Amino acid sequence: MDKKREEYDVVVVGGGPAGMTAALYAGRARLKTILIEKSLMGGMATYTSEIENYPGFPEGIDGIEMMKIFDKQMRRFGVQVKLTAVTDISIECEEIVVSTFRNEYVAKALILATGNKPRLTGAKNEEKFLNDKGISFCATCDAACNTGKRVMVIGSGDAAIEEGMFLSKFATEVIVSVIHDEGKMDANKVAQEKALANPKLKFVWNTVVDSFEGEDMLETVVLKNIKTGELMPFKVDSCFLFIGYVPNTKLAEGLVEMNSRGYIKTNELMETSRPGIFAVGDCRDKVLRQVATAVGDGAIGGFMAEKYVEEVNYVRDEIFGAEGLVMAYVYNAVEALEREYLSRIEQLHAGMDPRVKLRRIDIYKSDRIACRLMYKKSPSILFLKKGELVGSLEDLTKLETTLPAMVSQYL
Amino acid sequence: MAERTLDCLGEACPVPLVKTQKALEEMAVGDVLIVNIDHSCAMKNIPDWARSVGHGVEIEEVGEGEWDIIIQKMK
Repeated sequence: MDKKREEYDVVVVGGGPAGMTAALYAGRARLKTILIEKSLMGGMATYTSEIENYPGFPEGIDGIEMMKIFDKQMRRFGVQVKLTAVTDISIECEEIVVSTFRNEYVAKALILATGNKPRLTGAKNEEKFLNDKGISFCATCDAACNTGKRVMVIGSGDAAIEEGMFLSKFATEVIVSVIHDEGKMDANKVAQEKALANPKLKFVWNTVVDSFEGEDMLETVVLKNIKTGELMPFKVDSCFLFIGYVPNTKLAEGLVEMNSRGYIKTNELMETSRPGIFAVGDCRDKVLRQVATAVGDGAIGGFMAEKYVEEVNYVRDEIFGAEGLVMAYVYNAVEALEREYLSRIEQLHAGMDPRVKLRRIDIYKSDRIACRLMYKKSPSILFLKKGELVGSLEDLTKLETTLPAMVSQYL
Repeated sequence: MAERTLDCLGEACPVPLVKTQKALEEMAVGDVLIVNIDHSCAMKNIPDWARSVGHGVEIEEVGEGEWDIIIQKMK
């Protein structure tokens, strides 16, 4: 089966808050943009029952509801959405090709917003109870079906404690397994105080999961005291894991640089080690992973992708694709001398053969276009014909004689 | 290549996943199963599970909060 090939300015992989924001910015810049999400739009934010620290929602809001609003706003700007998994990302002659089960999307710029996923405990029989067999990562998804039941939460961070309290509205008892000594949790202080005051929450300190037991569905979680080695079986109907996350960056392995934990390295412009590929949100190497920071990343990534596509188009159409002889003047507009050269070049150009095209490439804000032409210094003049660099002039002191001579040589 | 539709509208987790797993067991490699769902939790567990066992998955958004999960049985 041949895959259908489609071309886009920007392809965004991942439909969480970072990806949606990046796509919104790209779409609003009127770039042809597609966002590819493997399942439900909203990413990890849809696993949160209440988001209280995202400005603009003073009463707090359910994660799924908030993501629906993000989705609606993004689609207003003409972003196309494809709900399928990306199977491969490759580079073919400077083109970025994103493959899915049935399609290939060719992108000028790619934004990776693949996020992260919940970490597993690694305890015995864990695999057996994934996929709705008793181990869950999402209290909002599975709280209602645990009404009147006994559940366990593993972890003591914000997610564990806050979701544990959410579960206590449904379950009769919530057992919380904490690796630390009695009274010590990783969650914020407000959540800790509320949790300790909640009679339905029972803490089991200094423990990790040793094994998951059950026939078909999970029936028992065996905890192990890390100090004494004592094994403690607990009969539960569900077990919720909130012990941190691992990045979803397998697709980008070998494509862009990552840190030792697999998070993608970027600079503050969200640029990865490979030109044209940006990374935003939780999959990026950064300090704080929240909806609020994902949105900031997404805005920058979308904006930088727009600049990148503009550059690609300009260089392709106006420099490499231009007819005749292209005379590209690379300069820094804040330098007085370089501005003076520009007016002298413009005067000379006015009297030249019309087949000579002058292009002004100011490197003050960014020298990325000049870099594409492989410039060596500023100021200098590069000569291009049919997309090939044919010569350059670096000493501009006597340009009234040197420039016309070079032009007649190359024209 | 047969195509079969499974109506799971109005059904909460884990019912749609269990029905999907049963339906696929009865189907041949290359067959396509279309699962209609309207519970967002099924949007997480059905595609995740189907991909984890190696099937091809695409999703169509039919309306707001309503999806067709298209699964091609690969093995």
